[in-house]
Order: sequence, then C-alpha cells, then structure tokens
Amino acid sequence: MSEIVIGKKAVSGIAASEIVETVPSALIILDKNLNITSANRAFYQTFRTSADETEGCHIYDLGNRQWDIPALRTLLESVIPHRASVEGFEVEHDFPTIGRRTMLVNARKIFRPGDGGSILLAIEDVSEERAARAESKRNWQLTQSIVDTVRDPLVVLENDMTIVTASKAFLTMFGVTEEETHGRRVSELGQHQWDVPALRHLMEKVLPENKPIESFEIEDNFPGLGRRVFNLNARKISQPGNHAHRMLLVFEDITDRKQRERDALSLTNEISHRIKNNLQVIVGLIAYEAKWTAAPCVQGYKAMQARIGAIAQLYDLISQTSRGRTVAVDAYLREIAKTMSASLLGNMSGIDIEVKGDPLEIDPDRAVPFGLLVNELATNAIKHAFPHGTGHIMLCVEQVGDQIELTVVDDGVGMKDKGSAKVPEKRGSDYVAIFVRQLGGTIVPSGSEATGTTVRVRLPLLLVPPGSAERVAA
Amino acid sequence: MAVVLIVVDDVFIREIAEMMIQDAGHQTLSASDVDEALLLLRSPQHIDALFTDIYLKVAVHGGCDLAHAAIALRPKLRVLYTTGNSITEKMKALLIEGTHFLRKPYTQNQLQNSVRDLLAA
Repeated sequence: MSEIVIGKKAVSGIAASEIVETVPSALIILDKNLNITSANRAFYQTFRTSADETEGCHIYDLGNRQWDIPALRTLLESVIPHRASVEGFEVEHDFPTIGRRTMLVNARKIFRPGDGGSILLAIEDVSEERAARAESKRNWQLTQSIVDTVRDPLVVLENDMTIVTASKAFLTMFGVTEEETHGRRVSELGQHQWDVPALRHLMEKVLPENKPIESFEIEDNFPGLGRRVFNLNARKISQPGNHAHRMLLVFEDITDRKQRERDALSLTNEISHRIKNNLQVIVGLIAYEAKWTAAPCVQGYKAMQARIGAIAQLYDLISQTSRGRTVAVDAYLREIAKTMSASLLGNMSGIDIEVKGDPLEIDPDRAVPFGLLVNELATNAIKHAFPHGTGHIMLCVEQVGDQIELTVVDDGVGMKDKGSAKVPEKRGSDYVAIFVRQLGGTIVPSGSEATGTTVRVRLPLLLVPPGSAERVAA
Repeated sequence: MAVVLIVVDDVFIREIAEMMIQDAGHQTLSASDVDEALLLLRSPQHIDALFTDIYLKVAVHGGCDLAHAAIALRPKLRVLYTTGNSITEKMKALLIEGTHFLRKPYTQNQLQNSVRDLLAA
C-alpha cells in the first residue's frame, strides 16, 4: 500500500518534470532574492545558455547581465510583489547572444513550505509573431495607399459584404464619408442604386466560389452625379497564410464611353437604314421594270434582285462579325451559311451546309467580294447539285502557306455528269471569275472526283498587316 | 382578299410596296408616320394587316410603338415589320410576340410571300 503511495508520488514528480521539459515556453524559477533555482530545456535553447551558467545565478547577472532589463526590473521589483500573478508582460530587448527579441512574460508566485516563496517565469519568444503583425500592418498601409491612388472608386468588403475600407475616389465621387461607409453593405449605400438582385447574387459567389464579377453594368441616377453608367468588377483577395478573404469591388464610370458607343450605334443604324432604303429603291425599280417586261427576261431581273439582297445581307454579316477593323473569316462563313440555309433552304430542306474555318481575318474592303464569291459558289451548288433535294455542302477556309484557300465542296451529281441537272449558269461562272480576279486569287483545278464538285480558290492572305490601319481606314 | 395598311416614311418605297401587295390581289392603305397610321386605325376602316417599317422618320423604333398602339386598338390585327437594320436583342424585346419580320431590301416575291404567310397564320 505504502509502495503504491510512494510510487504515485514518484510518478507525479516525474510527470511534473517531464511536463516542464516538454513545454515550448522558456521557464525559470527564481527564489525570493531573484536567484535562479532552475530552468527548463526551452530556456537554455532559446537563450543559448546552460544549466551550469544559469542555476544559482542572479537573474540580472545572467549572461553578462543581459537580463538586466529595465522592463524586467519593473516586473520583478514593482509588479510581482503586489500581485499573485502577471500575464502578458511584454519585454523588448537586444540580447547580445540572440539579437533583438520581443518576449511575453507570464509570472506566478509559488509558495512552498520552507522556501520563503519562489517566482515562476514563463518566457515566450513572440518576436516572429510581432514582426509578422508589423509586416501585416505595413502591407495594409501599403494596400490602403494603393487603393487611394487608384482613380476608379473601389471598396474592400468583408465576408458578410460589409465595407472594410473605401478609396478616396469612392468617397469623393459618391459624396460620402468614411464613417458613412464603414461597416455598411454596398446595397445600403446612396439611394440603394446598388441594391440589384442580379448583382447581389453574383457578389455572393465571389468569395465562396472564387468567381469574379466581370463588367456588371448598372445605369441609374446618382445624387449629385446625375445619370451615370458604372461597370462593376469584383474579385477575391487573400493574403498568404491568412484564412480570411476579402472582396475588392471596383466601380468604373463608363458613362462617357457608353454615350460614345450609343452615338456610334445610332450613326451606324442611321447609315444602315439609308443604305438599305437605297437598295430597296433599286430593288423596287427592278420590280417595277420587271412588271412591264416580257416573261423571258423576268428571270434575269429576279436574279439581279437576289444578288442585291445578298450584298445587303453581307453588309449585315460584316457588321455582326467585324472585330473592329477586320472581319473574322470563320464567323463570317458561318453567318453566310446560316443566312443561305434560312433564305434558300429552310428548315425542311434535305441539303445542309457545313463550315470549317481557320481563325483568319480579312479587311472589310475585301469582305464583300469574298462573301459574294462564297455566295455565288454555294448558291450554284444549292441550285444545281442536288436534283433530288438532298445533299451536303461544305464551305472551308484555311491558311496554306501565305495564301488563303477557300474550298466549296458538294456531294451532288457533279459537273462531269452531262445528263445531270448541274449546268452552272454562265453568268454565275463569270461572276466567280470576276470576284476571284478582284481578290487577286486563282481557281485551282480540281482532280476528278467520283461524286460531287469541288471548287478550290487560292487567295492572297487577306489579313490586315500590322501598322496598315491607316491604309484600311483610307 | 385582305386590306393591308402600309406605313413607310419613304414615298417611293411605300408606293412600290403598295404595288407589290396590290399585285398579289390585296387592297392597300398607306401612311407615312405613326400619327397618320393611328388616324386610320382609329377609323371604322376595315384593316386585316399592318406592314410597317420600324424606323419611321425621326422615331428609331416608331414602327414598334405603332404596332403596340395598333394591337391595343385592334387586337386581331396581323403585324409584319420591316427594317434595314440588324435586329438586336433590345429590338426583339420591342416586337409583339408572334408577329412577322421582313428584312430590307425585299423582293416582290419575298413581300408577297410574307403577306401570304402573315394572313394564313
């Protein structure tokens, strides 16, 4: 029984010592005269000293008096005598052996019978944490100064969508103070102009799904600003090592740009309206002439009307596929195919048009003859290649060396079958030859296919060379 | 045969459209703008269909406004729009659902077929 009690005491003693040695904080015990009675392994490691140099030494004399620190003196001589314990006492000091360090000292009085009282000091090196905090503060100050430098108004939002900080540009533009914005939701600002369900929905996805908002447009009346159009962009911002994420929301005032776009669109619509009306007048004149013309000639008038219609459609297609000064050939071909399918074939047709195109660009000057060439070749195939009403046409454009190769292929009756219905109109062939010459190209003779017809045309690259924008504009 | 109200601001285009539609055996009435068209639509005159340009003089979407006013006056009226401009999504939203559309320049056959389909719908 007594062995067991002794054993328990022994185990208890070993355990306390083991715990002290395992604790990562540096621990020392001082007697009432501030002499060190013991220290743990963490203390020796942190301060690069040993038990021989430490035990029995007065705290202030330890390590060439490097612990004779005014702040520590204050703690040990003025604070501890009046209190049972002190926590979080911060000591910053240049230690000769380990350099400048910030230590967090916890002190506790220990009373044991017969020793007159001791002091346990737990010393935690928080230098890195403090440095990181200082670095974080400097980063935040830097961020804030960048935020304030950006000309577009912007705000930084917390997880809960409340504003942490707003840039000076934001405060100035919307006539609000920092106090009026901090901690408030964007949707609550002003006269709730930003309280748009679609925007709210998108903003809720920015942080959890890391899904940025790109160019969300809002047009409204803003107090003191009048009617404005803003483009909103938002993205998640995070700091390495920090789990908290924030959202950067930028307000780009695009009112002037929007107005210029609207003016340009109005002008384009006005010009387009006039061009189409003029073409309509020409088609009307032809229709009127056809009314009083002998029947054998009417077909020619109708063909002329169809080609004028094709030119008008091509102008529409150019405006739809144009990327600024150039026209995307692949998109252009697809639009031509779509329009031809709708106008000449219809939904019930057994003839389909497939498009295969490299991503090439041509200048608008040559887009119309190029489109008319494709139109003529494809129309020819539709009209003559499929007497039974079913078949496949492929429009293909690819870059071959420094040339563009346009290929129009059908799997119809073919031109060699003299008995077939495919006898292309002479005028159609003439037009093809003219358009090819206009584009500076050549028709490549095709081999004899078992079925169908292949027309292959090589054209010089119709790309707009870099730096020649002025020529195109002229 | 039907009565078609043609609303186009350009005199020549309007008269050629009248000729094309009359050649298909229909009667035509004509107006050059929204106000003139509304006078006819408010009158007791029988009208089966409205063929209107979308761009009418200074009104960029005048034909769309006219069609809405016309349907409010005559809910059974058939509407055929025409325009030389591309049909944007914004413009589509202004068109009355179920109405027909003809792109300019249109030929006699295209206009006559569109009117035929419009009346048959």
